Amino acid sequence: MAVREAHIRRPIWALPLLLGRAVSKYSLVRNLGPFLPILFLWWLAVRLEVFPTAFFSGPAEVIASFGNLIYKGILPGYLEDSLYRLISGVFYSLVVGIPLGFLIGLNRTARRLAWPLLLFFQAIGDIAWLPILIIWFGFSLTTVTLVIVYTVIFPLMVNIVAGIDGVPEDLIRAARSLGASRWQVIWEVIVPGALPVIVTGIRTGLGYGWRALIAAEIIVGTSGVGFMMFDARRSAQVTEVFVGMIVLGVLWYATDALILAPLERSTIERWGMVHRPQEAV
Amino acid sequence: MRAVKSGSYPGHKLIDQTAQTLWFLAPFGILLLVWAAAVAISGVPERIFPSIGGVLQAAATMIADGSLVEHTWASIQRVVIGSLIAMALGVPFGIAMGINRYVAGFFTPILRFSVSLAGIAWIPLATLWFGYGSATVIFIIFNAVFFSLVYSTVLGVSSIPREFYRAAGSLGARRLQTILEVVIPGAMPQIVTGLRVGLGYAWRGLFAAEMIATNLGLGYLLFLSREFYETNKIILSMIIIGILWLLMDRLLLAPLEARTIQRWGMIREVK
Repeated sequence: MAVREAHIRRPIWALPLLLGRAVSKYSLVRNLGPFLPILFLWWLAVRLEVFPTAFFSGPAEVIASFGNLIYKGILPGYLEDSLYRLISGVFYSLVVGIPLGFLIGLNRTARRLAWPLLLFFQAIGDIAWLPILIIWFGFSLTTVTLVIVYTVIFPLMVNIVAGIDGVPEDLIRAARSLGASRWQVIWEVIVPGALPVIVTGIRTGLGYGWRALIAAEIIVGTSGVGFMMFDARRSAQVTEVFVGMIVLGVLWYATDALILAPLERSTIERWGMVHRPQEAV
Repeated sequence: MRAVKSGSYPGHKLIDQTAQTLWFLAPFGILLLVWAAAVAISGVPERIFPSIGGVLQAAATMIADGSLVEHTWASIQRVVIGSLIAMALGVPFGIAMGINRYVAGFFTPILRFSVSLAGIAWIPLATLWFGYGSATVIFIIFNAVFFSLVYSTVLGVSSIPREFYRAAGSLGARRLQTILEVVIPGAMPQIVTGLRVGLGYAWRGLFAAEMIATNLGLGYLLFLSREFYETNKIILSMIIIGILWLLMDRLLLAPLEARTIQRWGMIREVK
């Protein structure tokens, strides 16, 4: 996308930036490099005691606490719980959401009946379901899984419908006039055509889903990284709260950058005829 | 397969609109019928699953004693304050970062990291910093909207074609003029999208934060009603939450996004 211009005037202070650009050819450097100055600022802020240490702990303490939590086996155990919940929630969402989404997208009656309900139930939002789910299913895995399913399934279905609508009419007509049956049209034109938008839907849904997971773990509070953070907060262990946040951030960042974004990109490249979402910088 | 196009002849417009409204409302009618029938047939106790009458009764009592308005107003206020602060800080910050391609490229990974962490994950820390109260909730909303807004503003600004800057420059535009007349309009569609996404996160964060950190607001109402097994109040709050978001999203955000993109965006169409 970026056009390389040689003739743009570059002041001397741009040298570090140019150097940075040269190194940034390596994606690891590009992705992790920017965190180094932040890390330094963080260390400096703690060193100069800009904030009281009871509310703000430094990188050294966080690393020590991280090591300690891993050594004691608390963090790995909770992480496993959280991931298990997230994965099983996503699994059920896909199993239920994909067929339902296609039904709503393809069948006119189903669409007319389900679409307003879909909009409304999506608007209620997952977290608002927590209290009633707790009454129905107690403080259990079912409650957490249902909240995640609820979160993931709506963006997924909405995107499937949008994806189906986005398949150009011409393509469907072309397939028809070449003698394709209804199933063939669905399987060979609509599904591949809608795929990029569907993958985007999964990505959006997961973005909401893992937030719901944290909220559910804080409120349902039996185990998991969200629970660990809240538990640490109750005993005013600010360092452990920091550890939890960083673990969550790194985890989601890795999932998104290493699995979901490439998946989305490759789906769009392979099948995207509808539109091309803007590439990140 | 496709949504039915409304008739193009003028006389039928009103009829079409009425029919569309009816079609939109019909599923809710069916849902209410199913609800009424399910409660009547299964005889499930009110404290597990409320009847329609129970919810209406809760609505009547809570409107009468003013608590419903009080809780709803508290939540709305927090959303408005939090997102206004986020907009006031986020857009200028995003523009300042996005205007230089290298700075934008440098900060993108950090921003993505922050967006992925924004909102709910900050609740434990926010309660530690701001105590239990409105400030924590406002901070969570601010936080969710701010990062999403900065990220999408940076994206928006850096997606403006170089030629536009050069064109403005060769027509004699100064730095400030370029910002006002090229950068902001050019980034506008992305900014609005970022606002909508951020508010989506904030809306969820709002209830989570209210459940944990305050004694007023719809989230707290939900939490309190659960303690006392008042399922009719829970369902009532959920319905209000759904309607509020639909109003906000459909009447404010979606039209704003559609208009901005039609006006300034060249990229895509919004549903």
